[in-house]
Amino acid sequence: MQAALLVGLAMAVLWFAEKMGGTPMVIRPIVVSPVIGALLGDLQTGVLVGATLELVFMGAIQIGAAVPPDVLVGAGLGTAFAIQSGQGADIALALALPIAILAQSLKVVVFIVRSWFMDLAMSLAEAGDIRKMHMLNIGGLLLQCFMYFSVGFVAVLFGSPAVEAFVNSIPQAILNGLSVAGGLLPAVGFALLLLPMMDKRNVIYFILGFILVSYLKLPVMAITILGIVLAFIICYEKGVGGDQVTAQTAGAEEEDLFDE
Amino acid sequence: MSKQKMSAEDKKMVNSLFWHSFLLEACYNYERQQALGFSVGMWPAIKRFYSKKEDQAEALKRHMAIFNTTPHMVTLITGVAAAMEKEASQNKEFDKDIINHVKVGLMGPMAGIGDSFFWGTLRIISVGIGLSLAQQGSALGAILFLLIFNVPHLIVRYYCGVMGYQFGADLMSGTQNSGILKMVSKGASIVGLMVIGAMSASMVAMKTPFSFTIGETAFELQSYLDQIFPMLLPLLYTLGMFGLLKKGYKSTTILLITIAVGLIGSLIHIL
Repeated sequence: MQAALLVGLAMAVLWFAEKMGGTPMVIRPIVVSPVIGALLGDLQTGVLVGATLELVFMGAIQIGAAVPPDVLVGAGLGTAFAIQSGQGADIALALALPIAILAQSLKVVVFIVRSWFMDLAMSLAEAGDIRKMHMLNIGGLLLQCFMYFSVGFVAVLFGSPAVEAFVNSIPQAILNGLSVAGGLLPAVGFALLLLPMMDKRNVIYFILGFILVSYLKLPVMAITILGIVLAFIICYEKGVGGDQVTAQTAGAEEEDLFDE
Repeated sequence: MSKQKMSAEDKKMVNSLFWHSFLLEACYNYERQQALGFSVGMWPAIKRFYSKKEDQAEALKRHMAIFNTTPHMVTLITGVAAAMEKEASQNKEFDKDIINHVKVGLMGPMAGIGDSFFWGTLRIISVGIGLSLAQQGSALGAILFLLIFNVPHLIVRYYCGVMGYQFGADLMSGTQNSGILKMVSKGASIVGLMVIGAMSASMVAMKTPFSFTIGETAFELQSYLDQIFPMLLPLLYTLGMFGLLKKGYKSTTILLITIAVGLIGSLIHIL
């Protein structure tokens, strides 16, 4: 009961902070899991589960109107169940994914309900009632926080025994398979990130970053700095040079016109 | 437009726009997306430039038009819109429809730049550094992740507001400025791609235990692969998943495919 309350509250408060703070990323698994871990008395497991889940959910981000799997619910409940059943990160992973995909539809429901708010918002704007518009805006946020509280509370209250029994019944071969799948899943996240960014012309930068690790074993920080230097060289040195050339030719053309 | 010095009152308003900008997505929905948050976020400018209640109402309603951009950089558009509202309040001839046209014109490119910078680059760098600590079990990883992301986030959010207001309606029309934006966008994508490449190499794990014997020598496939191209399998798998996404497969589908590959591959001992 206490655990259920804590998990529900933590999820609601984290969502509140995320949308009051202009998306500061406090609902990412790397943050959510340690918070849940600390509340349930096992910070260490929380941190490790968070590291695993962050990799898997790396690509689950909201860009535009498409709703990705719900990372907050996936990470929150996945961590809670992993800690309560005394299992590690692999179990959290196996649970978090289906939970996040299920919770995705709850978010869709919230977005639809808040679409109904928009008629009210329009009439408030027409009346110039800024105070009530403010309240409606926050009200929409609180509605979603309440949704997260309910999901966390109900799932942990009723779900834990069921989850524990389920986890104990999984055969070892499946657990091995899940562990292999856990190694592969970050690839999906990275592919999702690459989708809007990468094309045939810039795939070389991706491969460059990759081989700097696979052959040279450089740490990520070193590659970031290298990337910034490279970007600076390519965009600034070459970019400005290129602009000057076009400016000069444009100038030359103008002179030609005047000569005639 | 020349870079005019901002008056004390301008500065106060830009600060206030900054503080109001955080609530952009509080009431996100399908019908108007971030519109309510944007309209409420324009209040400091609307209150300042319009004294009559009808005019305030008209402006609030104008900014209830559907809106969507990267939340971390919305202040740039709020700033531009505020500069245009100022013009609209002083110049009776000003066509107020232009305000929403400019907003729509800005929200796409700003979302493109903002998403690739904040989601694709800054967040990935923060995750990369935070994870290296978290994987060793240190809770500092989470704190470092939040700091590395949010210090630049707050700085960019604030200065975008200042810049947006200063350049006002002209921001995107000046060729020089759009050149800078293109450069920033290209530079961010280079860093982002390299970091994602680096993280794919260090975090996607795929090895094959597959081996066969010819005569008396055992051939372990993985050790040959490692000699030719270390981590070739994770690279190919990541690019393969990218290819599937490009072909239009849904992310949920390829998540399930990946789990199936892991389970089946492990059962038949090739992974």
